[in-house]
Amino acid sequence: MPSWAEFQPYIVTGLALGGLYALSGVGLVVLYRATGVLNLAFGAVGAMGAFIAYSLIQAGDPGWVAWITCIVFGGVVTLGYGMVFGPALAGRGPLVQSISTLGLALVLFGVIDLAWPTTGGQSPSISFPTDNGGFSVGQLQVNWTQVIALALGVAITVGTAAFLRFSKLGTAMRAMANDREITATLGVPIRRVEAAAWLGCGLLAGIAGIMLADLSALDDTTLTFTVVISSLAAALIGQLRSIPVTFAAAIVIGLVHDLITPITQISNYQDMTPFVLAAIALLVMSRGQVLSRSREEG
Amino acid sequence: MIDTAGPKAPAASSRPPVLDRRSLTRFAVIAVLLLLAIFALPPLMSGYYTDTMTQVAIYSIVTLGLGLLVGRVGLYSLGQLAVLMIGAWVGARLLFATSQPYILVLIEAGLVTAIIGSLITLPALRLRGLYLALITLMLAGGVIVVAATLNFPNGGGGFSGYNGALLHIPAIRRPSYAGTDPAFYRFSVIVAIVMFLLVYAHLRTRPGRNWAAIKQSEPAALAAGINTTYYKLWALALSAFVTGVAGALLAGADRELFSIDFPIQNSITLLAVVLMGGAFSLAGAVIAAFLQAFLPALLQNWGVPNDWLIILFGIGVMQVLATAPGGIADQFPKDMKRLYRLISRLWRRPEAGIQAGAGGVSGAAGVSGGDGA
Amino acid sequence: MIEVNDLTVRYGGVTSLDGMSLTFADGVCGLIGPNGAGKTTFFNVLSGFVRPAAGTVTAFDENLLRMTHFRRARWGVRRTFQTEQAISDLTVYDNVAMIHSRLRGAARRDDVVASIEFVGGGVSPWAKVGSLTAGQRRLVEVARAVTGKPRLILLDEPAAGLPDEETAHLTAVIRGIPEQTGALTILVDHDMALVSAVCTTAAVLDFGKLIASGPTAAVLRDEHVMRAYLGTAEV
Repeated sequence: MPSWAEFQPYIVTGLALGGLYALSGVGLVVLYRATGVLNLAFGAVGAMGAFIAYSLIQAGDPGWVAWITCIVFGGVVTLGYGMVFGPALAGRGPLVQSISTLGLALVLFGVIDLAWPTTGGQSPSISFPTDNGGFSVGQLQVNWTQVIALALGVAITVGTAAFLRFSKLGTAMRAMANDREITATLGVPIRRVEAAAWLGCGLLAGIAGIMLADLSALDDTTLTFTVVISSLAAALIGQLRSIPVTFAAAIVIGLVHDLITPITQISNYQDMTPFVLAAIALLVMSRGQVLSRSREEG
Repeated sequence: MIDTAGPKAPAASSRPPVLDRRSLTRFAVIAVLLLLAIFALPPLMSGYYTDTMTQVAIYSIVTLGLGLLVGRVGLYSLGQLAVLMIGAWVGARLLFATSQPYILVLIEAGLVTAIIGSLITLPALRLRGLYLALITLMLAGGVIVVAATLNFPNGGGGFSGYNGALLHIPAIRRPSYAGTDPAFYRFSVIVAIVMFLLVYAHLRTRPGRNWAAIKQSEPAALAAGINTTYYKLWALALSAFVTGVAGALLAGADRELFSIDFPIQNSITLLAVVLMGGAFSLAGAVIAAFLQAFLPALLQNWGVPNDWLIILFGIGVMQVLATAPGGIADQFPKDMKRLYRLISRLWRRPEAGIQAGAGGVSGAAGVSGGDGA
Repeated sequence: MIEVNDLTVRYGGVTSLDGMSLTFADGVCGLIGPNGAGKTTFFNVLSGFVRPAAGTVTAFDENLLRMTHFRRARWGVRRTFQTEQAISDLTVYDNVAMIHSRLRGAARRDDVVASIEFVGGGVSPWAKVGSLTAGQRRLVEVARAVTGKPRLILLDEPAAGLPDEETAHLTAVIRGIPEQTGALTILVDHDMALVSAVCTTAAVLDFGKLIASGPTAAVLRDEHVMRAYLGTAEV
């Protein structure tokens, strides 16, 4: 069993990753509540944005231009998808609509592979100036990027919760999550609210993408799938409803995943963390269930 | 739809008429096609395409299993690839460790896979369909992780059957009566036919009807007295069983298994091709297998990167869900009928016919081609 | 006879049923009330899709709430839904035969055919449901409700959206259900003509509370009932 000192660095990385998973998870939950769609292309959108940023930096553009482009790209693509396929699939149910986002994920994934083929040579990467600066807590090294990641996660969670509760747009989103038809009859411009939700989710995807490219790896498979699975697990544990629980679950997933690293017997299996945790959560959830359709589909 | 070729004439008695001319013709056509596939194809194919068609036969079992879940019961699974890998792993392990007859190994692999698949999906059965899709996606991720670590058996000992230090990796054995590539191809086709018959038998009897009821509306199925959890589990177990058998077949086909042969995006493309090929019919499963296993081989032969196919599948998913839920299998006959009607109408107007006919035919062909993508 | 005692259902801060206590007599009973009064919730409790926060339901001396949903169906609860449940690609026979029944073999087959003949309306057992008219499809739903020795039949707005002649036929069919099956039938509908034609007794729900019950004619003239309906500008 490794010593406490061996675990320590992974607390930091785990929290940073957890913060990013929380950011993604919250984005997923908000979109789901406002539109009924679970955006499974979240990771792919962020991945492509990160690759675009990478190319811009390679071409000589300053870092901040590249990062902003990534974030904007995320927003635009996600919003575009939502505006086209939202109406096309209206009324088909959350399952069909979410599977459709997988189509988008495949398209983006294929484009990334075509445009940035993984040939031999230096593998692409993203780095921020904040990677180098940092501070120490006792014997732990913490760099600013990690702090930003966790801070973003917290900020987005708190900000989103506040936004949903106190702002007009947020209240409209909550109303729509409850019952779309009634909300429409109340005079709420549901199309515009939906568009806002899609855009917000897309921007968050861009932010998550660029940060994960830095903290984790600029690799299409990792960013498209691995990240999505972890954020999804967090959102699932939050029952696609509760933002605080999603946040907590994301942090736990990030922490558990990284803390397993020094335990050599099982470290190879650490990527199974989101799966195992989500499966346990689902088991607990199905205890109280009478029927597998909830009211929204009933 | 191929499978509900039903009785036509109303009868006063309580027994429905069983066979009629339409279903008999259909059976005959299918039988002829299968006989051609088994006997006429192998001499015509090069080694490369023999391998490819073997993959098509094997993957048609996988798409059959997935189509059963998606099209017949309404359960979306994103973990079919993981199930296939489990079957391949168990098959390879048994083939190395024992000298059991091949058929027995296939069945055992199927059973083990069915048990594991059922256990994994059990927590999600009583929850929303979306949750099942998500938990299977995570299962796929999890299994791929384990496979990358554990590796596929390669003749070594111990539980995992993997020995990283082996210099000469033995090939996974094949049945004594189907050792050559063409012979194994025929063997795979026959196993596929058996699996299709197994599923078909389910669809025509009580499980099939209850699955249809569950897919339509779970509350109503419950109100009809159907134990939906039990039947959903049965569908998942059957789907996992046939996919497990396919996995064991794959072990024999490839003779060496590597985890990079199962990239995670295939988890999603499998669902994509099933949707595109047609989740509601058995013919759709075959079409899906062609999309999944034949097209990539074709493209590779022509030097086109596989990514174009992935993009195509992505577009295909979105298009199918938005406009043509029955996929190619459903759309193609409809388009052919439209084309037929158009041609027969033009045929009766010879003067205007020739020019308009040319334009009309290409127009209609454009329609069916577009829907096919 | 069905006895409901103090049934309460709460969901997300809303009390859909509030201490409902009622006894349903044999025959056909009507359950009416404005939209959102709790009628469908009550059916959902009876079907087993919703667990009440409090209360009991005793049907023919059995504790109904103790049984899981599909077991209730096997015990003899039948229900039609506001949306169509028959599967269009299957024949009428297959759709009715899907309902769980304790009969087997030839007796089962005869019972299915008898149920289809009972609803009449020109519905052939071997027609595909997709080829029937809307009214005929409703009759298929009723056939599914009367097959296999039911004990409690819940009809949820069976006449909604039907033209007059088909409603008239449906009325006759529903009136014949007690004799055909011996089951207790509860009918929810907004068509007051239908309710007064087939229901011997009726109960009225408003905002989850029972506000009137008794012989149909008396209930329909009750002033509380009229206020509840006129107040919501419905009917």
